[in-house]
Amino acid sequence: MKTWISGTGQAVETVGAWMLGVLWLLPVIFAFWSAFHPAEFSTSFELFAPLTLDNFARAWSYAPFPRYLMNTFVLVTLILGAQFILCTLAAYGFARFDFFGSNVVFALVLLQLMIMPEVLLVENYRTISSLGLLDTIPAMGLPYMASAFGIFLLRQSFKTIPKELVEAAQVEGVSAVGILWKVYVPLARSTYIAYGLVSVSYHWNNFLWPLVVTSSVNSRPLTVGLAIFGAPESGVDWSIITAATVMTMSPLLVAFILFQRQFVQSFMHSGIK
Amino acid sequence: MSSIILKNISKRWGSTQALSDINFQCEDGTLLVLLGPSGCGKSTTLRLIAGLETPTSGTIEIGGKDVSNLPPVKRNISMVFQNYALFPHLSVAENIVFGLKARNIPKQEQKKRLKDAAALLGLSTLLERKPAQLSGGQRQRVALGRSIVAQVSVCLMDEPLSNLDAKLRQEMRQEIRSLQQRLKMTMVYVTHDQVEAMTIADKIILMNSGRIEQHGTPEELYNQPATDFTGSFIGNPPMNILIPDETILKAFSSMLSGPDSSPPYRIGIRPENLTISGESGITVQVVATEYLGADTLIACRFGRQDITVALKGKSAARAGDSIRISWKPEHMYLFHTDTGKRLLETKKDPFP
Repeated sequence: MKTWISGTGQAVETVGAWMLGVLWLLPVIFAFWSAFHPAEFSTSFELFAPLTLDNFARAWSYAPFPRYLMNTFVLVTLILGAQFILCTLAAYGFARFDFFGSNVVFALVLLQLMIMPEVLLVENYRTISSLGLLDTIPAMGLPYMASAFGIFLLRQSFKTIPKELVEAAQVEGVSAVGILWKVYVPLARSTYIAYGLVSVSYHWNNFLWPLVVTSSVNSRPLTVGLAIFGAPESGVDWSIITAATVMTMSPLLVAFILFQRQFVQSFMHSGIK
Repeated sequence: MSSIILKNISKRWGSTQALSDINFQCEDGTLLVLLGPSGCGKSTTLRLIAGLETPTSGTIEIGGKDVSNLPPVKRNISMVFQNYALFPHLSVAENIVFGLKARNIPKQEQKKRLKDAAALLGLSTLLERKPAQLSGGQRQRVALGRSIVAQVSVCLMDEPLSNLDAKLRQEMRQEIRSLQQRLKMTMVYVTHDQVEAMTIADKIILMNSGRIEQHGTPEELYNQPATDFTGSFIGNPPMNILIPDETILKAFSSMLSGPDSSPPYRIGIRPENLTISGESGITVQVVATEYLGADTLIACRFGRQDITVALKGKSAARAGDSIRISWKPEHMYLFHTDTGKRLLETKKDPFP
C-alpha cells in the first residue's frame, strides 16, 4: 500500500516536472527554430526546412547589438564587482563584530529584501537624475549594488566559519582586514560563486529599470535594445527577432550549462547552511 | 625565560563569574596542565593567557613582561586548538607557514623551518595535501607543526587530543610530551581527561567552578588530595567518598572517631585500596562486576551509598553476593563535610 502510494507520487512528480520543463522550454525551442530558418518557416513546421544564418546577420546589422552586448557586459561586471565588495564588507561587519544597534541595522537590511525594486522606480529615477547620471551604465547599476540579499547570504556563510580559524589567525597576528581576506573570503567561495551566478543572470535579464533610465545606444543593454528592436512599430519579423533573442541569451545559456552544477548545488548548499 | 604568571585573575561575563582569583605560576620549560570538568574555567584561563579574552581584573606576565593588555601576536605564544583550526583551503605546507607569512618572515627561513618541522613530525610526504585528505592524527600533527615553526617558547594547547581515538591519543600525548622536552617549551595544556593530565604533566592545576582546587605535581594530587573534589576527580575509577554512619564508625572504631553518630567529615578511600577481608570491615552488596583484564571493578552498595572496589586480576564475586570489605588507616582520607577540605589528622580524634 505504502509503496504503491510512494510509487504513484513519484510518477506524478516526474510527469509534473516534465510538463513544467517542456512548457518552459517551448519558447526557447521556438526561438531556435525560427532563428535558424528562413522567415516563411517561422510559423510553420517542416522538419527538413532549409537552415540559414541569414537572420543573425540581418539582426546584427539592423541594430547595434555589439554595443548592446558590450553595455550589458560592462553593466553586469560593474554590478557584480561592486556587490562583492560592498556585501563582503557589510556581511563581515554583521558576522564578526558586535556593535551598538547591529541587530537593528541588520533587521533593516532584511527589510530591504521585502521591497520590490519596481516600487522605487520613480524615487530611484529622481535620485539618479539629481546625480546627473541619467542614461549611463552606472545609473542602471547603482540601485542594485548594496544588495540586501548578498549581504544576508554572505553573512550567513561567514557565520558558519568556525571561530577557531579566526582565532588561529589572530594568534598569528593577522589583522582584521587580513582575516577577512585570508580566512573568510576563501572559505565562503561557494557562496560567492552561487551569488555571482544569480546576480549575473538577474542583471543580464533585467529590463524595466534599464528601460526607464536609458535613452541612447551608448548605455542601452541587450534586453532594452532587443525590446526596441522587436517593437511592433518597427514591423514584426519573427525570424530576425528570434535570432536577436538567441544572440542575447546565448552567452547566459552557455554559462548556465557550464556552471549548471554549481548553480544548483552550491546555491542549495549555501541556502541550507 | 618564559615563565607564565597569573596574578589575581578574574573574569566575568555579565553576571556570570567565570573565574575568580586565579593565581599561579608556570615555570620556564615545564608542562602545566589545566584540568577540570567542563565549564570549570580552564579554557577561559588559557584564552586569557593567549590574549583572546581580556581579564576583568588581574595581571598576566609572560617572560617577566606584563602582557595583560597586549594582543595575542605580541605575547610571543603559539596555540593549538581543539579542532586543529586548519584552513581547509590551504595545503599542509601553507597551513604550517601561515603564521610565518603573516609575520613577514623571509621565504628562505620559512622553507627551512617548514622542512625541519615536517621532518620532526613525519609530515614530509604529506605537505601538498589538503587537511580534508588527512587523518585525525595527521591533522593534529599539522596543528603542532604550525605551533613549532613559530619558534616561540610558550605553547598553549586547548584540548588538542579530544577528537582522537583512544590509541592515537596515547601516542600523540607521548609525542607532545617528548616534543615539549626536546624543544624546551613552556606549555600550558588544557584537558578534561585526568589520565592525560597525570601522564603528561609536570604540574597540574585542578579547577572547579572558576577556582583553583589544587595545584601540584601529579603525585601530590593523587596522594595528597586537598579536597574531596580532587580526590574524586583524580584517579580511575574515582575515589569513593563515604558518609560515615554508625556501621562504619563501629567497624572502624580503631581509626575513626568523632562526635557521636554523624561526625562532620566524609571518608575518602580509593577503590584500589579496598580489600576483601574475612572478618573485619563492613558488609556490602555486589551490584555489578566489570572485568578489565588486569583488574576487576566491583560496584557495591552499602545502605544508600555506592562503593567501587578494584581488585587485581579476576574476582569470584558476582552480582547479588555479599562481601566484606576493609581498608587500612593509611589509605583513608577524611574531608570536612561543609568545606570539602582534607583533614590532615586521620588518626583517632581529628577534632580535638
